[in-house]
Amino acid sequence: MSLQQFIEQLDELAQSARQSFMGAGDSEELESARVEYLGAKNGRLKTVQKQLGSIERDDKPLAGKKLNEVKQEIQSSFDEASERLVSGPARTERDLRIDATLPGPSQNIGRLHPITQTIDELRDIMGRLGFSPAEGPEIEDDWHNFKALNIPDIHPARDPLDNFYLATAKNTAPALGDNPLLMRTQTSTVQIRVMEKRQPPIRIISLGRVYRPDTADATHFPMFHQMEGLMVDRGVNLSDLKTVIKLFATSYLGDEVPVRVRPSFFPFTEPSVEADYYWNGKWVEFGGAGVVDPNVLAAVGYDPDEVSGFAFGLGVERLCMIRYQITDIRYLYTNDVRFLRQF
Amino acid sequence: MIVSWKWLSQYVDLEMDYEDLVDRLTMSGLNHEGTEEIEGDQAIDLEVTSNRPDCLGHIGVAREIAVLYQLPLQLPQVDPPVTGADVSQSCQVEIECPELCYRYTARLVRNVQVGPSPDWLVDRLKVIGVASVNNVVDATNFVMFETGQPLHAFDFSKVSDGKIRVREPSKDEQMEAIDHRKYSLLPGMCVIADTASPLAIGGVMGGAESEVSESTTDVLIEAAHFNPLSVRNTARTLNLHSPSSFRFERSIDPEQLDSASLRCAEIILQIAGGELAPGVVQAGQPAEPPSPITLRTAELERILGIPIPNEFVLRTLTDLGLEITGQADGTVTAIPPSWRHDLTREIDLVEEVGRIYGYDKVPDTAQVPMVASHLPKRDRVLERVRNVLMGAGFDEALTASFVPEPWSAAISPWTDQPALISTQPMLGVLEKASQNIGAVDRIRRSLIPSLLEARRINEYRSNTNIELFETAKVYLPLGEQEIPDQPTMVSLVSGRDFFEVKAILLQVVSRLNPNLTVELVPLDHPLLDTNLAVELWVGEDKLGLVGQVSDGGKQQFRLRSAAVVAECKLDLLESLAVLVPLHHNQSPFPPISRDFNFVVDEGVRWSELESTVRQAAGELLENVEYRETFRDQEKDGDGKKRVLLSVTLRSPSETLTGEMADQVSRGIVSGCQEKLAAALLV
Repeated sequence: MSLQQFIEQLDELAQSARQSFMGAGDSEELESARVEYLGAKNGRLKTVQKQLGSIERDDKPLAGKKLNEVKQEIQSSFDEASERLVSGPARTERDLRIDATLPGPSQNIGRLHPITQTIDELRDIMGRLGFSPAEGPEIEDDWHNFKALNIPDIHPARDPLDNFYLATAKNTAPALGDNPLLMRTQTSTVQIRVMEKRQPPIRIISLGRVYRPDTADATHFPMFHQMEGLMVDRGVNLSDLKTVIKLFATSYLGDEVPVRVRPSFFPFTEPSVEADYYWNGKWVEFGGAGVVDPNVLAAVGYDPDEVSGFAFGLGVERLCMIRYQITDIRYLYTNDVRFLRQF
Repeated sequence: MIVSWKWLSQYVDLEMDYEDLVDRLTMSGLNHEGTEEIEGDQAIDLEVTSNRPDCLGHIGVAREIAVLYQLPLQLPQVDPPVTGADVSQSCQVEIECPELCYRYTARLVRNVQVGPSPDWLVDRLKVIGVASVNNVVDATNFVMFETGQPLHAFDFSKVSDGKIRVREPSKDEQMEAIDHRKYSLLPGMCVIADTASPLAIGGVMGGAESEVSESTTDVLIEAAHFNPLSVRNTARTLNLHSPSSFRFERSIDPEQLDSASLRCAEIILQIAGGELAPGVVQAGQPAEPPSPITLRTAELERILGIPIPNEFVLRTLTDLGLEITGQADGTVTAIPPSWRHDLTREIDLVEEVGRIYGYDKVPDTAQVPMVASHLPKRDRVLERVRNVLMGAGFDEALTASFVPEPWSAAISPWTDQPALISTQPMLGVLEKASQNIGAVDRIRRSLIPSLLEARRINEYRSNTNIELFETAKVYLPLGEQEIPDQPTMVSLVSGRDFFEVKAILLQVVSRLNPNLTVELVPLDHPLLDTNLAVELWVGEDKLGLVGQVSDGGKQQFRLRSAAVVAECKLDLLESLAVLVPLHHNQSPFPPISRDFNFVVDEGVRWSELESTVRQAAGELLENVEYRETFRDQEKDGDGKKRVLLSVTLRSPSETLTGEMADQVSRGIVSGCQEKLAAALLV
């Protein structure tokens, strides 16, 4: 017998022994497999071992070495199989008293309000476009809410009926001094506060609560949220605005969308535009925008001939309600936990 | 503004496709809101922004179309025949309040035949949604919707002495308007009166007395220029809004009074007969002529991002009605027309040229430079706070910043100053069951009352697991006229155990700064349970509070089950937060634990016991844990309790021996004995 044949025989033996041991369902089966392979008299290993004699003399040391290796391998296969039988016999039948489909004790995990989730997403998208969040007070003065934003005294937006002007308890008449206090009506106030403190280049967003005295109904609430973006630098123009809005819309909607801007009117931007995106076969209003009015730049001490900028604002509730198909804005502020847990 | 396709065709040749027209109008500033087909005509609804009152008449819209499509604008030629005595012989006008009425003109048509309007006129008005009244009134409306200039027709026989006085109302003056309701006239309003009584509220509505009726023969046509702010305030005060006040509020073309009045007279002659008296009676001052504006053409590219050919600039400005008065190196100087009050600055001309050229030609592929953005510490802190609370099972609520007075008064942890009051309440924000609590006009000083109301609503709806948190500003008044302090709070309302909620709050704190020592101080507050309420302090600063709602509080907020509230000042947490903690090596040596069972007076607080143990244990201390409290009156006597606690000791540099641990233990026992008279039970 050649060495080659001898080794092949041994390898096959090792493999089939392992299969038999591992396939044994109980200790009786395993024992009979052990006798078959490792039996001291007629075991298959013994049978192969007897053939060692017919190997060429020069090949004998190698053949002997291989025989020992395989012997050990078969023994360890047997040990492994017998250990497995001892530690856990293969289960053949389910214990029906154990029901794995029963619910476990579950830890409630709270949810963020859909408005917060929307705001976080807007903030993240704008962050990727280089806009950093900025904050300002919600109770503002006339200067930051109106005057500095180029909204003159006679502008209808300043009508006391259209604003929450504030009084102190002592002085119950509206505190309409030179610079009365009111709940901010737009997040544009933050533009002014940032520009008063810093020089261009500026690239910020402000996100937060704003207030207007609409009676609450399905589409109005006297408190809502806005996002406002502002970019000021040398040479910032309408094309930059269109580009940023396009990038924003593409990011938010997750797909390339056509964007258009059409003329509109806001006191603090000129040219002023409304931006729309094309979605599901129609133009959807995105928000108001425009090139920052030179009067606004001058109000914060910038030179409008040196720097220019753009600003845009949008209503968070509207985006949120469209996205989640929420049909009544008041649901957002009732805080029914069954509502909150849907998002 | 609704415009009729057929009516527009009178002034400009509408050869273009309808869809193309409304699209171009939208893209040049008159947003198309919809179109309705009426009587074989198109009623096109266009949104006119408040800066463009010139488009509140068909001619103004036709002008825009003419400019966009490069078409000629055909204006009506007005030259009615005149007959009889000059108007000035029958009529006088005096303006007594020149700040309310800048200019007033009157024309007289004698011997008219008031009756129904001809079909063409009825149809024109019908398409734009205006009902026909009679031929004279319809003529005034037609000219208003044609030119944008509101007109009023008086029955001249009702004008005592033929004298018009434009004045402020006298005290307690009233007038019955054409809607047959009486209105009280107040100072600041502008009244058109004769020598006896008010005939009309200037620019807002006519009076019933001098209204044109079937019996009218002589008609006085008013064309005036009223103060926009005064008209707005009057319309708003009286809740009387009309197409006329809508136009005056936005200001009219002051140069157009006479031609509009003449146009109206001509139509009256055509459809109601009569004779137009020669001349016009006028009072007041003509408007200041518009000033020239210089446009540096380089500004177009700087602002719009694209160059616009000079030829286009000149043509557009001219077509829009501006008069080019000068051109020099890179500049154009032009005088705007009287109907464009919105054009006063260079940027206005940039916008005009840009919108006609088309913003669709401005590319949306600019190379905006890349810059780094960063998330402020506030946002990062908020994110962590929210994550901890969500993990603890709290849903985020958002509640209104205004509350009714009783809620505002219920708790104010951060200031003794009374809450600010809004001059107007929030309307419609309360659930039905809470609407009797009062006007929602206090600017809140704490989020807790709002959250208690949210809890009540959820309880009422039989919801379970009502665990809510909110992060929002509160508003703490400072001095008069000073912008209030507006710190952000994180607040909770929970149905869980007081101790659990307190632990969650402390977990929030520890997530932001694990090394912060928070001191708990008992809190006495009527909204909160006497025994289960504490304030949280960090050094000299109040961080917040936690408390179980007292029975009184439950009653006030109509809660059925027990509730725990907490509020924490995020601004302080933010300043103390360590967002990037530095790593220190964990000791590789095993810990040793020791349990202690102390008998102490009932009055001894855990916080005292813990800090005493910490102090006494020294550097080897890793942790102190509370286990249990027992009471055994028989063995320990009255007013005593047994507190079981465990201490974990570990050294950073060696394996502790039992001997070393015993030494620490002895220190703990003697420390507690000295400071708290604690006796160790062995």
